[in-house]
Amino acid sequence: MSARELSYAEAIREALGIALEHDERVFLMGEDIGVYGGAFQVTGDLVERFGEERVMDTPISELGGAGVAVGAALTGMRPVYEFQFSDFSMLAMEQIVNQAAKLRYMLGGAVNVPVVFRMPTGSGLGGAAQHSQSIEAWYAHVPGLKVVEPSTPEDVKGMLLAAIKDPDPVIVFEHKLLYKMKGATPEGYYETPLDRAVIRREGGGLTIVATAIMVHRALEAADILAKDGIEAEVIDLRCLRPIDKDAIVSSVKKTGRLLAVYEGVKTLGIGAEISAIVAESEAFDYLDAPILRLGGVEAPIPYSPILEKAAVPQVEDIVAAARRLAHGEV
Amino acid sequence: MAVEIVMPRVDMDMTSGRMGRWHAPEGAHVEKGATLFEIETDKAAMEVDAPASGVLKFVAASEGDVLPVGACIGWIVPEGESFAPPPEKADALPIARPETSVLPNALWRGRDGLGGPESSQRIDQTQMGGPPPGLPHDSPSKDGRPSGRPMGGGEVVGERPRATPAARRVARERGLRLESVNGSGPRGRVQRRDVEQGGAASNVHRLWLQRGEGAPIVFLHGFGADLNGWRPVHRLLPETLPALAIDLPGHGLSPLGEEASFAALVEAARAALIEEGVGAAHLIGHSLGGAVAATLAHEPGVKALSLMLIAPAGLGPETNAAFFNGFLQADTEAALTPWLHMLATDAAALGSALARTTLRQRRERPLVADQRRLAKAILAGGRQAIDIRGLLPTPEAPTKIVVGLEDRITPPHQAEGLSGLIALHRFAHVGHMPHLEARREVAALIEELVRAGQRSQR
Repeated sequence: MSARELSYAEAIREALGIALEHDERVFLMGEDIGVYGGAFQVTGDLVERFGEERVMDTPISELGGAGVAVGAALTGMRPVYEFQFSDFSMLAMEQIVNQAAKLRYMLGGAVNVPVVFRMPTGSGLGGAAQHSQSIEAWYAHVPGLKVVEPSTPEDVKGMLLAAIKDPDPVIVFEHKLLYKMKGATPEGYYETPLDRAVIRREGGGLTIVATAIMVHRALEAADILAKDGIEAEVIDLRCLRPIDKDAIVSSVKKTGRLLAVYEGVKTLGIGAEISAIVAESEAFDYLDAPILRLGGVEAPIPYSPILEKAAVPQVEDIVAAARRLAHGEV
Repeated sequence: MAVEIVMPRVDMDMTSGRMGRWHAPEGAHVEKGATLFEIETDKAAMEVDAPASGVLKFVAASEGDVLPVGACIGWIVPEGESFAPPPEKADALPIARPETSVLPNALWRGRDGLGGPESSQRIDQTQMGGPPPGLPHDSPSKDGRPSGRPMGGGEVVGERPRATPAARRVARERGLRLESVNGSGPRGRVQRRDVEQGGAASNVHRLWLQRGEGAPIVFLHGFGADLNGWRPVHRLLPETLPALAIDLPGHGLSPLGEEASFAALVEAARAALIEEGVGAAHLIGHSLGGAVAATLAHEPGVKALSLMLIAPAGLGPETNAAFFNGFLQADTEAALTPWLHMLATDAAALGSALARTTLRQRRERPLVADQRRLAKAILAGGRQAIDIRGLLPTPEAPTKIVVGLEDRITPPHQAEGLSGLIALHRFAHVGHMPHLEARREVAALIEELVRAGQRSQR
């Protein structure tokens, strides 16, 4: 069967449609996900296909909506709650971090919280400081949550279906710049593991571990680097909790050089964890250069498009950092 | 006046030393010039003499302690004088780097008003065999730091070589020392490829005792020794002469490969020289290393500008087979010492720590097994299997042979009957180790030979 291409947003919609079709416990919640079709037009026509009881517009209260979703999950339903922006999930932190993530543990396993939170995330669309953040590392710090960040249409469909089936709360970060990106997407029902990174490009010169939109920038950078004879191995981390340590460690053992690229603020971010995993592992003895991180600047995301671009790693930044690493300049 | 005893810097490249044995207990009276303690640097063991006469007090280091150069390890206080060492300076003076905070108080002279230390004098021993004639008296500079100490300029006292984890691993796996690898990374960092390139082609440990312009002196040690044996005589040579010392396979830090043969030693030495970019050299070899030097000089690859063979092997069949057996079998200090004493007429020339150092190295590396294999290859039926006489017809480069008339390993008469163009230097009352027993004379001969070699090159 030839590869059928869907956009990232279409792949999500397809996954949600399949889940709604296959499992009557599944229903969607979120602000403007019904008739309006969602802030980023992801749910689209699902309300017409499945009705307002299963594609439910909720009031402008993230705390209330998330609370209802967690409660419904406790009763055995499979809610999928969409935040308009991951930034707004801060209003629902109590429900996500204190309730959803803790209840199975605190009730001795007597309950599960099979809720899915979808969080459009990241910069690049001129959303300014309160609509452009990358806070996935915050949630990845919480035991009891699963946190994934798919970077392709195929992955977002498979991971969303796996997340809906999963008995525990799962947060799916969807980078806004990916929504229109097209890619081969298998038809029908399939699941993509929620705990495995994937190698997007093999190479022996250095390892680039990237997330979300940075995976694509890293791949573009790798093509440029290849012209210099630098073969970068690009790992799409995909899963932040649990994190696929083995994939990182085995790649660094092969290449001896590590560059972590992520959009969140650099300090105390995903790159710190990736670096520490390597430093603590058997890959340490294979490091032939310091570990480098490329992350967001230590500032709110600016509104100015020029500054917004400058605030997070771009292809040329990755190329420059990888060159310095590969040429032993750091 | 109390005199501080510090960890001396005995080598250019020394940053720290391991305390050996004290020859006097705390509280004992010691005489200036008498052996006071032993140290083991990462290269060699040696004795250090008391810098003054008095009572050994405030001993701050015991056997096995590793201390940076300049660290205070005790004080010698004149009889009857009351003295208190200056307090720890770490809290009294700002020390920028955490690495330096481990320094004991030795790097700092006393400060005003603390009493006592004003009357102390700093001794910096730069040579073994006694305190130097001129005492470098470090006066604290304005910021309270003593001048001329290795504190500034980015150097960190006691720092390990700058190397990546991968370089360290590869060096570990191959038994190479990072100190002997040139780092190509930022600030001289040794990277994996440096170790691989520096060690893959010839797994031969070598060390530049002195870097510099022009063709270097190349030192090749004898059976059972290693490159550290050259340090005493090298210290007497001018710093303008570059010098490279090699650990032959099966010795020091160079492993013996599959092939245990004399040819393999020559090949390893040649490969090391070529890797170091040495195309022409003044070759100086002792005993087995003398035979290696003569063979290197005779064969293409490395041009010998001059050649010095010290008590060389390969000039005749006789040798002291019992020595080889006894030397390799001895596994205690008591058993080894008599065999070592057979090397020299004056055992003191060897240094008292030699037996312990040898035994320690044997524990750390498979030297005995390697040297047994080598001994089988270079001795046949208790006689020398190497013959270099045929390689020395009419020398193309200035050549000297140096022997001791009391040599009990290679009979000195073997050096007779060679070309009249080869200078033969015969030292009375000297054994198999002229470069240690008559080191000043041998150093002078080396200088003379190198000058002759340089002249003949023009």
